[in-house]
Amino acid sequence: MKIDKKEKAVVVIGSGPGGAQVAYQLTKQGIPVVLLEAGRRIMKEEYVNEEWPAFSQMAWLDKRTMSGNARIVKDFNGLPTWLVKAVGGTATHWAGATPRFLDYEWKTKSTYGSVDGATLMDWPIDGKEMKPYYVKAEDAIGSTHRGGRPPLPANNNYKVFAEGAKRNGYKFYATGPYGTNAAPYDGRPASIQDGFNFQGDKNGSKWNPNVSEIPKALATGKLELRTNSQAVQITTDSSGKADGVLYMDTKTKALHRQEAKVICVAGNSIETPRLFLMSASSRFPNGLANSSDQVGRNYMRHLTGSVYATFDKPVNFFRGETMAGFLADEVKHNPKRGFVGGYYLETLALGPSFLGAFLDPGKWGKKFADMMDGYQNMAGMWIVGEDMPQANNRITLGSAKDAFGLPAPNVHFDDHPNDTAMRNHAYEKGEAIYKAVGATQTYRVTPYPHTHNLGSMRMSAKAKDGVVDKWGRCHDVKNLFVSDGSVMTTGAACNPTLTITALAIRQGEYLAGQLKKGNV
Amino acid sequence: MKITRRELLISAGSLLAYSQLGSLANAEVNIAAQPGDQEMIASMCKALYPHDRFPMSIYMDVAAGAIKKGNADTGAKISFRAGLDGLKINKFDKMNFKKQTKYLKSIENTPFFGLVRGHTVVALYDHKEVHKIFGYQGASFDKGGYKDGEYNDLTWLPEPRIEEHPDLTAFLDDSSPKKYASLKIKKTF
Repeated sequence: MKIDKKEKAVVVIGSGPGGAQVAYQLTKQGIPVVLLEAGRRIMKEEYVNEEWPAFSQMAWLDKRTMSGNARIVKDFNGLPTWLVKAVGGTATHWAGATPRFLDYEWKTKSTYGSVDGATLMDWPIDGKEMKPYYVKAEDAIGSTHRGGRPPLPANNNYKVFAEGAKRNGYKFYATGPYGTNAAPYDGRPASIQDGFNFQGDKNGSKWNPNVSEIPKALATGKLELRTNSQAVQITTDSSGKADGVLYMDTKTKALHRQEAKVICVAGNSIETPRLFLMSASSRFPNGLANSSDQVGRNYMRHLTGSVYATFDKPVNFFRGETMAGFLADEVKHNPKRGFVGGYYLETLALGPSFLGAFLDPGKWGKKFADMMDGYQNMAGMWIVGEDMPQANNRITLGSAKDAFGLPAPNVHFDDHPNDTAMRNHAYEKGEAIYKAVGATQTYRVTPYPHTHNLGSMRMSAKAKDGVVDKWGRCHDVKNLFVSDGSVMTTGAACNPTLTITALAIRQGEYLAGQLKKGNV
Repeated sequence: MKITRRELLISAGSLLAYSQLGSLANAEVNIAAQPGDQEMIASMCKALYPHDRFPMSIYMDVAAGAIKKGNADTGAKISFRAGLDGLKINKFDKMNFKKQTKYLKSIENTPFFGLVRGHTVVALYDHKEVHKIFGYQGASFDKGGYKDGEYNDLTWLPEPRIEEHPDLTAFLDDSSPKKYASLKIKKTF
């Protein structure tokens, strides 16, 4: 469908899991939507099963800078996160783990109490309210081990992981829940164990909006998908309501304007606050919807790290699904461990090309080469846990400019002592898993640019404490919504995509109802 | 915050410099164009990431790429020329491995070192021959994916359970904020 730029439309910015889901929920109910996507549409036939060429094909490489004490600031200064600029957003590149928040993870301030230096806060929603949306999200994604869907088989990396876990007395390991089909589902085929989830999945077995919500929304006839259209400013009318989006054609660099009656922003935790800050005006001098001064703050990226190990026999961990191995035993809050919150361990495999870049950034010499030499006998896992929100871990407009002359975002990130304590605990447990099955060497791998980015537009009950309310609607601008992971008040231990999807389904249903009643 | 070219190469260089591989300008004066220069850079690449299993031809390929980058612009040229000159004067290729490592340590903070190392770690482990030597098979999509008996051919450990443990749901559901708030924090950080 073609929507006139002068028509006051419902405009969604960003076609990742949040934006595409909201657009689908609205168009499914007959509401026309303009969906602006900064990147192009890459179809699965175009995906490349080689690590660096695929990186060049889809990564968001616009200029970004970093500051702070986290090691990643030094190791990968221009690339704080590994996001995708394409239809489907970063879900093009996601691995696929789909755990849910635990009930107390919606209420961390009440549960953990005060933690020095952390800005913990309870979400204005809880596990009971979210439960039905989690079921809908799992059905949308097609999570294995859920809704009667079968588990994926064990690959070699999982065999090492699961047996090591078992010998450590762990119980809660499995090959999922995971967002890639073990059996045909929703018009998509079963996995053929061809790996390369991070490169887009040529087989189409992996869920991402580009193979699910986008084609479904287009089929309603109510969606106009505008690709290569990067939003650069949201404008407001004399009453302070949002009334339009200025966006740039990234090919011609021409600036366009779409009139809007409702705007949903889903640009991710870096681009969403950047857009709000670039939308400062005389009425909103500190950035749009920023009377709380919370836009850009409490940026989280999850506690991460990896453990790799070599054995005296081959593993060939690169074969098969990238992350179909999951351990939940360490997820529960247990302050006796010396930190609040918990973490998951998940299998992870990289090709030699990426392993060289990530195993120990900046390192060289014989020890490093020996580590790489064990490639065929290597197993690997990723750590993902709850990191502490901190007021100064934030997105600001830096002094550097991007290729379009726009202020590049600066990402400030300091590790919190709780993050460091949790990471060290997880390193030990990960190494113990591999040692139990005969690891000859284990390696602790520092965090590298990854997909998880949360917070920076936090959800709060009170307007002074955050940017958006329980529906993701801005406290300050009533027809402006945020629809991505940036609304996360706190991040929990789990991979975020399922929760982003659940929140977007809930928001989409709410917004459709409000639009039909004429309340927006 | 401004990223200098050097910082880019030393840190994020591995990732970002890759995407700039195609943008090399034509040059009038070419650096490292003398006989033996490529061999000298190759000896440095090998000392940085020494693998006995790799033939020298792989390091020569990597060195060719480093030289191309060393000619990318005037700034790269002057630092690359100075760095290569240092290797030649000190007869780097004739040193034993221990002395080579010591020498490389001494120049670790130079733009030349950053350029060669940043390039080598990407180009070497992305080299098709290296993938073969490592036993990395890469893409399998065109062959219908990795087959049963291939992606799961590890036999030195027992077959694991793939389903979730029957107690998992109860374990995850038992997470009321009130109950977990009663656990006392022992502060250790």
